[in-house]
Amino acid sequence: MEIRVRQQKGMAILEVEGELDFSNVDQLQQEIQRRPEEVVEIDLQGLRFIDSSGVGMLLSQARHFFSQGRTLKIVNIPDLIREDLEVIGFFQVLEVLKTNPNA
Amino acid sequence: MIEVITGNEKILSAYRLEGSGCSLPAGQVGGDFFEFISCDKRTVFAVIGDVMGKGFHAARLMETIRHMLRECIRVNPHPLEVVRRLNKVGGYELRKCGAFATLCLLCYDGITGRLSCVNAGHHPPILLSDGEVKVVRCRGVALGLLEDYLGSGVEEFSLAAGDAVVLYTDGLVEACGPGEQRYGQERLREIVRLQYGAGADRMKKNILSDLETFTRGFPQKDDVTLVVMKVTGKAGERVGD
Repeated sequence: MEIRVRQQKGMAILEVEGELDFSNVDQLQQEIQRRPEEVVEIDLQGLRFIDSSGVGMLLSQARHFFSQGRTLKIVNIPDLIREDLEVIGFFQVLEVLKTNPNA
Repeated sequence: MIEVITGNEKILSAYRLEGSGCSLPAGQVGGDFFEFISCDKRTVFAVIGDVMGKGFHAARLMETIRHMLRECIRVNPHPLEVVRRLNKVGGYELRKCGAFATLCLLCYDGITGRLSCVNAGHHPPILLSDGEVKVVRCRGVALGLLEDYLGSGVEEFSLAAGDAVVLYTDGLVEACGPGEQRYGQERLREIVRLQYGAGADRMKKNILSDLETFTRGFPQKDDVTLVVMKVTGKAGERVGD
């Protein structure tokens, strides 16, 4: 997995490429946690695979961001991965957490 | 209910129903599980699930969820209540570890022939009836992601003799061969359709054999778990256990 970090108008964009799984999930988590910006965008356009550890980490970081009044956006999700995330209820959880980070 | 357990395989015979399931871990102990649980003399639950992560950690959480599931069924066997309660008690354990679990719960009534389904973030089951396949629509959020279970509720079907239901984990449809293409839903639905008339155990073996043909022995990233249930008699017939 490769992470490219860009800064744009006070927002950090983390472009993730390759496979996000149990073996490297901590690397992306640390990168998200060390960003001081109010808005952090995770761009998954180059992501080929994500396992449940990756999904769990993204949701727990989103919860953390929303509870601080910050925003974690997850964008450009490839179609196959979007389908897997829909099955888990990923987008429903994000919607709920936006209004209630303690849900 | 008669259940025969051999290694990672289980075969069920009860309530005008036959069931066959197996779980193939990817390299090491995984977080997939399945269960046949007898509730009373007319009801059987079939459950499939996948706890986030790999190895000992996921396996330990999976055992906790299995234990809690049985307890939830004992307290109140209504399928939606089982999942709601499991999300409360099991979800707490999962959240403590920063984990979640997907689960699909089926409840079959041997007297009425009714099948109830509740889903918590799992791939929906496939129904095979009169040679036609249908994907169950019910959806829901995986256990442990929200404090209160959120889903589309209970979906019910009336099953006739010869009808079958297939449950599976993501490792099956996401399995890859030497190329990057996945085994996928479409191929699974087609192989299920071709199994009309076969027994539950034969269906399971044929699906796994087709998966092996597709993957050509290529090592997989995730566990593969498959459960097939088939109705063997007409509803209303006397139920024996």
